Amino acid sequence: MSEIVLKAPLTINWALNNSCNFSCRHCYSRVDTGDELSSETLKECMTKCAKAGVMAVNFGGGEPLLRADILDICRHAADAGFRVSMNSNGYLIDAAKAIALKEAGFAKIGISIDSHQAEVHDNFRGMPGSHVKALAALDHLKEAGIRTSISTVICTFNFNTIDDLIAMARKHGASQLNFHNFKCSGLGMSNKDELDLSPEQWKNFYKEAMKRKVECTDIDISLDDPIIASLGMRDETAMVKGSVCGKLSLNIKSNGDMTPCGFIPSIIGNIVTDDLKTVWRNSQVLDKLRNKTAKGKCASCSDYADCLGGCSARALAMTGDFNNPDPHCWVE
Amino acid sequence: MKRIQRNPDILWREEDDAVEEANSLLESGGAADEIGTAILFSDGTMVTLNILGTEIWKRCEGMTVDEIIAELLQEFDVEEPVLRSDVAAFLNELEEKRYIKYV
Repeated sequence: MSEIVLKAPLTINWALNNSCNFSCRHCYSRVDTGDELSSETLKECMTKCAKAGVMAVNFGGGEPLLRADILDICRHAADAGFRVSMNSNGYLIDAAKAIALKEAGFAKIGISIDSHQAEVHDNFRGMPGSHVKALAALDHLKEAGIRTSISTVICTFNFNTIDDLIAMARKHGASQLNFHNFKCSGLGMSNKDELDLSPEQWKNFYKEAMKRKVECTDIDISLDDPIIASLGMRDETAMVKGSVCGKLSLNIKSNGDMTPCGFIPSIIGNIVTDDLKTVWRNSQVLDKLRNKTAKGKCASCSDYADCLGGCSARALAMTGDFNNPDPHCWVE
Repeated sequence: MKRIQRNPDILWREEDDAVEEANSLLESGGAADEIGTAILFSDGTMVTLNILGTEIWKRCEGMTVDEIIAELLQEFDVEEPVLRSDVAAFLNELEEKRYIKYV
């Protein structure tokens, strides 16, 4: 597969709002603007994105279900030709809501669950009873005919519970289990000393997770971290080398600001006022992300061609330069 | 002969600039095999197709293999046995990835 610069993102991660009914200790968006686009403006912007060639949108936030117009927005996006998905904490999804989400056109919904243990999850998410509701949401969505995934941010209290998390996903019919690397953004930065793993712990986690990924035939275990290239275990289905940010996907914040990903705060335009394809093609920030320069230990690393320095967002947050080595990297 | 049907879960699009570049190269007698002109995308996986792959994929909706080959012979300057072999290999790969099926 050759790498090409696409005419437009394949997918957009779109924060519809920044309000939330939870107070998670790793949340990246608590410090973001509370401004939201109106329904009509959102729809116009989605139509623009569809015309530019974007094929999928994944709604996030905040908690997107707190938007009263979520079903209407989804219908518009689906009618525009997008594959529509969403990340939610699941708290507001009962059986009736699941059916309404299906009818509105959601193809897939990811539920954030950080532990197989209710108490651990509830404490982390700052919402008593949230684990029970998240699991119920998975069941309701499956019953309604929507594919589900579980999104788990790997951190100090769950990195050694891989098998328990897989068992939980299997029990509740999730087709995919996403193990997200820990980002030092927003509250994730404030709480990183307590929550983030050491490079050696990351190495051991990924070794185990990759084994399970190979063994597990009924659930797709997704690892989105480019630094696993140095384990000789790069996911062969990965679409590009290094981070996907700015190569395949783009992030849009609740006020319309575009950033390379949700964890890189560099604003490269606004979807209300700017032309998506022009920004995608001409942004200097995206150009730099697509053409990184190896710095520090990356310059002499034999795996650099595959990992491209790891997660650009993490390197930027921790060192001020996304060309620097990913701080999670264990390679000496 | 069975007809080919795309997996409806696969999202795809042509890359206009790349198509133009590939066509320009072909018209001037050059090789365009390495230029990705279409993207197939599904749930975290992506396949980039060159111009021949793109033209095959565009026909993978209700046509038979023989019908695809007959059309492509009109478009590409290629010997039929070579084309037949290339199309078979390409369709096998798509079938293995579950991007198409025969009905």
